[in-house]
Amino acid sequence: MNKLKSGLGAVGQFFADFGHAVADGDIFVKLSLVWFGAGYLGRKQYVKSLIMTIYEAALVAYFALVGIPYLSDFGTLGTVQQEYVFNIVTMKNEYNDYDNSFTILLFSVVSLVILVFAIYIWIYNVKNVYRLQQQAAVGKHVNSFLEDVHDYINGKFYVTLLALPVTGVVLFTVVPLFVMIFVAFTNYDQNHMPPSSLFDWVGLSNFIKLFGGGGITDTFGYAFVRVLGWTLVWSFFATLTTYFGGILMALLVNGKTTIAKPMWRVLFMITIAVPQFVSLLLVRNFFADNGIMNTILSNLGVTGFLHNIGLISNNYIPFLTAPGWAHVMIILINIWIGVPYQMLIANGVLTNIPSEQLESAAIDGANSWQIFRSITMPYVFSVTGPALVTDFVKNINNFNVIYLLTADFYVTTNQAMANSQAKETDLLVTWLFTLTQDYYNYKMAAAIGIIIFIICALFTLIAFNRVVARTGEGDFAQ
Amino acid sequence: MKKKTVRVILKHLLLTALVVLWLIPIVWLVVTSFSAYNGRNTSTFFPTEWSLTQYVKLLTGADTVANFPAWFTNTLVVAVANCVISSIFVLMVAYAFACMDFRGSKGLQNLSVIVNLFPGVLSMIAVYFVLKAIGLTNSHLGLILVYSGSSGLGYLIAKGFFGTVPKTLQEAAKLDGASEARCFLQVVLPMSRPIIVYTIISSFLVPWMDFVYAKMILNAGISSQWTVAIGLYNMLDKSLINTYFGQFCAGGVLVSIPISILYIIMQKFYVEGVTGGAVKG
Repeated sequence: MNKLKSGLGAVGQFFADFGHAVADGDIFVKLSLVWFGAGYLGRKQYVKSLIMTIYEAALVAYFALVGIPYLSDFGTLGTVQQEYVFNIVTMKNEYNDYDNSFTILLFSVVSLVILVFAIYIWIYNVKNVYRLQQQAAVGKHVNSFLEDVHDYINGKFYVTLLALPVTGVVLFTVVPLFVMIFVAFTNYDQNHMPPSSLFDWVGLSNFIKLFGGGGITDTFGYAFVRVLGWTLVWSFFATLTTYFGGILMALLVNGKTTIAKPMWRVLFMITIAVPQFVSLLLVRNFFADNGIMNTILSNLGVTGFLHNIGLISNNYIPFLTAPGWAHVMIILINIWIGVPYQMLIANGVLTNIPSEQLESAAIDGANSWQIFRSITMPYVFSVTGPALVTDFVKNINNFNVIYLLTADFYVTTNQAMANSQAKETDLLVTWLFTLTQDYYNYKMAAAIGIIIFIICALFTLIAFNRVVARTGEGDFAQ
Repeated sequence: MKKKTVRVILKHLLLTALVVLWLIPIVWLVVTSFSAYNGRNTSTFFPTEWSLTQYVKLLTGADTVANFPAWFTNTLVVAVANCVISSIFVLMVAYAFACMDFRGSKGLQNLSVIVNLFPGVLSMIAVYFVLKAIGLTNSHLGLILVYSGSSGLGYLIAKGFFGTVPKTLQEAAKLDGASEARCFLQVVLPMSRPIIVYTIISSFLVPWMDFVYAKMILNAGISSQWTVAIGLYNMLDKSLINTYFGQFCAGGVLVSIPISILYIIMQKFYVEGVTGGAVKG
């Protein structure tokens, strides 16, 4: 809460300073409200003045030519449908001057981002000019242009460092995210694909559909509950099994009496070092209905036994092709690739356990199980406990394991699931991917994406608050 | 004493059993790659006839389905480009957040945490349309942009390391008149070898390990453009698996050897970076 207050305080201060600057500034400061370069001109900083003027001109040109035309269509997302019409002038069939809803949406978001940035620069500029005025008034040194430039490898080096990476994130993550968040409130799908047709705002109807309000024939609500349920069950088991498995494996490998520790570590690591698209695709063929595992088990008579007691109805074990079996197998296979990874992390933690505690416990006659339960585990848990939540969130979005094990392999027999393009083994994130890649259902995919975000944010917030409560440290970023 | 020896032996037996269990699929991959049979060997674990044909076919017989030499080169090109851009981005962001104190630092870091909570696939849908509009889908440049564009978000580990470089050293350098940029390049970076190696290898590995983004961007079905991941995935298509499974295994082995070695080196440097910290004293 304090953090929020101080954050709001900082924002308030930012605008209060701006008010001061405008009220107390001289004619150059006031003039720079409309002409960005004016203030620098007044302080004889000609190069800076020129740069700001060019920047302002570029900004005005952008909004006049691109920004405002697109933003004005933002409310309707376009009204002119694409048509192929005969043009009397050229005597040919040509497309009319149609609107493209996606382009309108995209450029509107880009323009809004530029607008926010421009307003920030505008305020910052006025404040900066006012600061120069104050410096000049008390006879302080006013930086030359070269000194200002030099500042960007010194005091303001962070601006130089962050400029490109932040631009990259804005272009490749932030803007696309906003576009997709908006798409969740439109009817952008296979029947409304730009450029041949327009899409439009539909309010909350995609979310209503997702929560089961889509009518009797609609199965999205049915599929959503099941996919969400499996996503949470999967994340829970995937996180816990690999976490404890990793600690146990690390204890085994790291034990005092173990010989050739690095060899064991490397042997286990090979599993995670092989790219997942090789190892997982291989494993799914290993466990295929007519795969090698089924042959072996059949030869051993296991398949026949399971068939006789009625656990399976075919003459093979449907490891990855039947609900239930597939769910268990996915979690088991995930143990196979997840445990060595957690072992590496646990290794680092275990080597840092204060050895005095272990020794004094041993002197007091504690057996190894007691030491493990009362010293090792609490220590490991206090260090890696918060990472459990991060792992949980990562598993919610664990695309690779599910997709590589089940895509084009597991076929659902549940008609209601199939109607909404989902499978029993789908996570929200793989469902989202299938919806966009195979069915062009962007509106539902975007709505699911927002739900994923809300779930992840919720768990992160809970974890964050618990960490804060325990350590009394209110720092998100540490 | 005797009881203890028995326990140690039991423990090593257990470890051996676990290693065998963990390596069965890998062993299957290797032995199948040396099989003379093209399809999936479903009757025996070891091939009935050993041969190098799968490797020969994979490396010399490029056709419309399998073009491993091209895939390998494509992935290598993308990986090198991504490695250069991403490593620079990550190290720059990490230094700014770890070693410089400025207004908005905390705010930006919190924003990056929030952005990371959205599934990456979601923003990639919109990125795909933008790249398509400017003609960069089905091109390696587009793929490089997708991998490296947002790479600045992965700064946390390097930031943690830079935080352990003693502040006194940086202050001493600045007292001697060094600028912040020189402090970064000549004081902090030289002391951060483990984490630089870790950053370089991990960003080099991204295109080798990734499957989703490559599948989204290189979707035209021209096999000579693909990366190793989509190429090998496509070999297991229902209609192709009986002709190409052997080659898939051979390709898997060929790509896994360099990747595994790099991965194990990377882990070593990661552990060194996280537990060792910077030069002591």
